[in-house]
Amino acid sequence: MDASTTDRWIRRLNLLQLVLAGIIIMTPTVWMVLSSLKPSFEVTAYPPTLVFTPTLSNYVELTKTTPFLSYALNSLIVTIGSTALGLLFGIPAAFAVSWTRISWPAILTLAARMAPGTLFLLPWYVMFRQVGMIGSYTALILSHAVITLPIVIWILLPSFDAIPRSVFEAAQVDGCSVTRILWRIALPLVASGIAVSAILAFVFSWNYFLFALVLSNGDTKTLIAAAFNFIGEGSTQWGALMAAATLIALPPLVLAALVQRWLVSGLTLGAVKG
Amino acid sequence: MASISIRNLVKRYGNFTVIPDLNLEIADHEFVVFVGPSGCGKSTLLRIIAGLEPITSGDLYIGDKRVNGVQAAQRDIAMVFQDYALYPHMRVYDNMSFALELRGTPKAEIDARVKRAAALLHIEPYLDRKPKELSGGQRQRVAMGRAIVRNPKAFLFDEPLSNLDAKLRGQVRAEIKALSQELKTTMVFVTHDQIEAMTMADRIVVLQSGTIQQYDTPETVYERPANQFVAGFIGSPAMNFFPVEWRQEHAILSQGGTVVPLGDETANRLRRAGTGVLGIRPEHFAVAAETTDGIAVSVKLVEPLGSDTLIHFDFAGAPAIARVDPSLRPKVGDRLSLRPQPGKTHLFDAANGQVLR
Repeated sequence: MDASTTDRWIRRLNLLQLVLAGIIIMTPTVWMVLSSLKPSFEVTAYPPTLVFTPTLSNYVELTKTTPFLSYALNSLIVTIGSTALGLLFGIPAAFAVSWTRISWPAILTLAARMAPGTLFLLPWYVMFRQVGMIGSYTALILSHAVITLPIVIWILLPSFDAIPRSVFEAAQVDGCSVTRILWRIALPLVASGIAVSAILAFVFSWNYFLFALVLSNGDTKTLIAAAFNFIGEGSTQWGALMAAATLIALPPLVLAALVQRWLVSGLTLGAVKG
Repeated sequence: MASISIRNLVKRYGNFTVIPDLNLEIADHEFVVFVGPSGCGKSTLLRIIAGLEPITSGDLYIGDKRVNGVQAAQRDIAMVFQDYALYPHMRVYDNMSFALELRGTPKAEIDARVKRAAALLHIEPYLDRKPKELSGGQRQRVAMGRAIVRNPKAFLFDEPLSNLDAKLRGQVRAEIKALSQELKTTMVFVTHDQIEAMTMADRIVVLQSGTIQQYDTPETVYERPANQFVAGFIGSPAMNFFPVEWRQEHAILSQGGTVVPLGDETANRLRRAGTGVLGIRPEHFAVAAETTDGIAVSVKLVEPLGSDTLIHFDFAGAPAIARVDPSLRPKVGDRLSLRPQPGKTHLFDAANGQVLR
């Protein structure tokens, strides 16, 4: 085989890999969307029906039987709140770690993120109950900050590290305090990193199930926790569950699609100094 | 405008001492160049003056104010960095006006000062550009412009020419020198390039291992080096060194026993010391008319530079270089008779390298 034939085969294999990966990733999503459009009896049919008459009955049932919009609002409040909290503390924290080159606080937050959520659940439940905050947005936002804070710190850390130290030193000599350096010099230079960390924090917080299940009440239940109600001990409303899952998945998907290019460049930010 | 005074300065990183004990006085309006090999502490010293590195012990005064614990932001000094350190997200104009804006300077005055500095540095057409849209030389000018607009007490330069090509380096070197004469501000310039040191400085600080080896005018450092390190560091090609002894009323090369014709002054110093290290700069060899008049050498390599020619040869078992007139047109293998120019030789203590007087 000559070089050009080898190259052609490599390209074909690459394409095949991408198609396979795409199928593996997309199948559950497509399945979920199609199931949400099937009549209830067809959702669990085996073999699965590929040709069917689409219906919005699951969506109608969902909105009729549940306060879907208020759950969505709860999810938005908790997600936006925890993302904002993550950014508020994560940006200065990442900058401080980069500035001082003391990395243990960042490693500690990463360890907290890696620990299973159940680890936090009992102490938090006890603590929030003690102060009468179970079922409050505050408890949910604070608990979700455990998800968002490490994301913000770990995405922004390489971005801050990639800024040449001399740029900060020049700002010091020019008359900047450390706070002003963060505000006027560092933040504009890591804007895409901030956007990426905000989107990922939003997505992870939006999709997080466990804390809302335990720490929310009927008034503050988030979408993902509410969707769990469709799974019953005797019977599960799969059609409504799929409709809810589709609607839950929509905001992160739309968000990711809108900022796709930014997301990719932001994720590789700091990988190469230039 | 201010003098800089460093007294008994010590700088340590953990157990590693970079500057053991340093005293230095830089006069107001003076252009001082720190020069030395990599790791000699010259950049650390500059960063200490800037307030970017804390002092372990000792005192630092800018003007008559002790600034040991004073933040860089409060020292009112400007610094030009090796990589220029421009703010990538700001236009050239904003890069230059940033420090003035922080000090609350009125907008009209900022505008006037930025435009004056831009005119001085010929960067007016680039004021609306971002740093990434500029060449290395233009960025360098912007970095200088950013320093100039502030009208600071002192300018600090940390190897600002090392990223420029040779031609541009020569040009900017001359511009900085001209600027220093025009601005009449204290300037401290760090370089490892001795040509930059020699051409720009009012006085040169030659550093080795955090210790000042000599602090004097370029002419003195070149003509009367304080020790063998300074003699070898300043001058290109470097000074040739040969161990010598005084025997039977002659200066004799320790290796090979060749008699070296020396001027009376150096000969007297060697007579008193008995032994030493003889230093002869390549340009201070004269080609003798007769082989009996000098030291016969065999040319190993010829480097014609246009204005003069370098010839390489072995002398007393060690490689040596002489700078000769290009009209001589020597060839590899030619025999030449070289003679140190009287009054241009240096003699150092063989044990501690200090000049023998």
